[in-house]
Amino acid sequence: MRKIVIALMGTISGLIMLFSYHTSLAGSGTLAVPPSTGTGTTSSSSGSTSAGSGSTSGGSSGTSSAGGSATTVTGDTAQTQWGPVQVQITVSGGKITDITPVQYPNGNGRDQEINSYALPVLAQEALAAQSANIDHVSGATVTSDGYVQSLQSAIDQANL
Amino acid sequence: MVVGMTALLPTASSRPVSPPPPRPVRSRTPLAGDTILLTVGFSVVVVVSLWLAAGGLQALLAGPGPGLTSAGRITGLVASDLLLVQVLAMARVPWVEQAFGQDRLARWHRLLGFTSFSLMLAHVVLITLGYAVNAHVGVLAELWSMVWTYPGMLLATAGTAALVMVVVTSVRAARRRLRYESWHLLHLYAYLGVGLALPHQIWTGTDFVSSPAARAYWWTLYAAALGAVLVYRLGLPLARTLRHQVVVSRVVEEAPGVVSLHLRGRQLHRLPAKAGQFFVWRFLDGPGWSRGHPYSLSAPPHPRMLRITVKDLGDGSRRLADVRPGTRVLLEGPYGALTTDKRTRTRTTLLASGIGITPLRALLEELPPGATLVYRARHESDLVLRAEIDALAAARGDRVAYLLGPRAHDGSWLPASWGHVGEAGALLHLVPDIRSQDVFVCGPEAWTDAALAALAAAGVPDTQVHVERFTY
Repeated sequence: MRKIVIALMGTISGLIMLFSYHTSLAGSGTLAVPPSTGTGTTSSSSGSTSAGSGSTSGGSSGTSSAGGSATTVTGDTAQTQWGPVQVQITVSGGKITDITPVQYPNGNGRDQEINSYALPVLAQEALAAQSANIDHVSGATVTSDGYVQSLQSAIDQANL
Repeated sequence: MVVGMTALLPTASSRPVSPPPPRPVRSRTPLAGDTILLTVGFSVVVVVSLWLAAGGLQALLAGPGPGLTSAGRITGLVASDLLLVQVLAMARVPWVEQAFGQDRLARWHRLLGFTSFSLMLAHVVLITLGYAVNAHVGVLAELWSMVWTYPGMLLATAGTAALVMVVVTSVRAARRRLRYESWHLLHLYAYLGVGLALPHQIWTGTDFVSSPAARAYWWTLYAAALGAVLVYRLGLPLARTLRHQVVVSRVVEEAPGVVSLHLRGRQLHRLPAKAGQFFVWRFLDGPGWSRGHPYSLSAPPHPRMLRITVKDLGDGSRRLADVRPGTRVLLEGPYGALTTDKRTRTRTTLLASGIGITPLRALLEELPPGATLVYRARHESDLVLRAEIDALAAARGDRVAYLLGPRAHDGSWLPASWGHVGEAGALLHLVPDIRSQDVFVCGPEAWTDAALAALAAAGVPDTQVHVERFTY
């Protein structure tokens, strides 16, 4: 009986410790301020940390320019099952010169891992293709979907 | 006249002790059993459909990274579904238990356990490899990252460790070294293992994040398993113990090393117990009370009395001889599928060996008169409840055959004196029309196997043979 009580107390203590660890509570992550990626020169990254996930949201075609006739256009937010994805493009002389992710799910280790390899690849491919007709990154289908959607809407808004 | 065989002939003026029972109905348990198996199969189909709906099949063909990940997902889904089925199988749900019997459920639980465990290991390996390939990271680095940064994964890792411990302590080599009680307590960690897996499935599992319907189904399955355990393993036994307030009323020594305990209680007729069934008993007689003993009723349940008959086999059965009248008893049950519900024919034969006589002695009283009881034991002094059986048979017009002596050979159910008749031949000699009778078998493991083999050789259809094993 004594052994049972000791084992029980040990198990409960272990469970308390396990559930105190941060990944053991409340599911998927929240959004975070994105770092700036991309190969472009001018990049005004408007880091919007919107914690809530709205349904659909419009993009804003801001014209903050830093030199030349570069314009930045932010695409619509694409809702994916992991969270919202939104990109911003910089257009100069009729070509896309930079693509920056503005919103992406980044709250937990899984999201971070996917983003670290998927976002740079997507940006590079889109810059090379100068369109949203790019291949998905394998293992990041959902993120790629959202990226492409948002990118397409930015391209449409910039009338390219 | 064969040596060692005593048969009582019915007297001319025998009167049946109990009124003739109704004609046997076609047992309804095959339908219940089929329904349950179909439901289990259906649950696996649902899980596979969830995977397909989330694009699992296309992902398999989409390259090494997604392919491994997708295979990892389906193995995880099926493993988890089977683990929940296992929990349900051992939850002692009455109609599940009645349909199959505890011993068969325990055997399946064991098979299913190793299967779902292998699938779970496959899941861990495939997912880790798949994610590592996708992220272009080394496997060990990926594993580390998964365990410490993914939602719910530290819990899942702890759950996996618990399940590994449970499986390792359940292989035959380990069980031989462990006392039953220690093994049983360690096995309870399986509940923890299954439960700790749920968060990572809901939070990280692709098939669930995207679909509220899938999540609802999964939560329901977990809730059903948890509910079944709480109600049937804890709630119902507690309620019955409190309502019936069973205490030991008398301890009777039947023979050296064999005692009968008479138990009295309130409203015992409201316990749905039938002859042939057993309970798991806990006697509040001091330290060690928490160990449960499965003993069959050795007489049909009576509104004011239950009786069990126990042989001293070590493992705590010896102390029952010293239990004092008035000792309170916790009970779990009734369990057992060896009842008259299983009858399919008009006439019945009972095959008993050693202490296996107890449920069959109880069953005898509920059968129509004219049954046959074959009772196998090493020595005449090993026969339990003999006088009672003889009297019962005489009053009812049953035949009793005592087969005494050491085994004819390994794998034989017969004593040496009957060896020349043959395994199946002996059956036909004792009961010429055994092929058209129901046969109930109860006894030690090896003898039961031998008896079942003999019955098959004698041509008795499987549907007419009913067996319950004590050790599993």
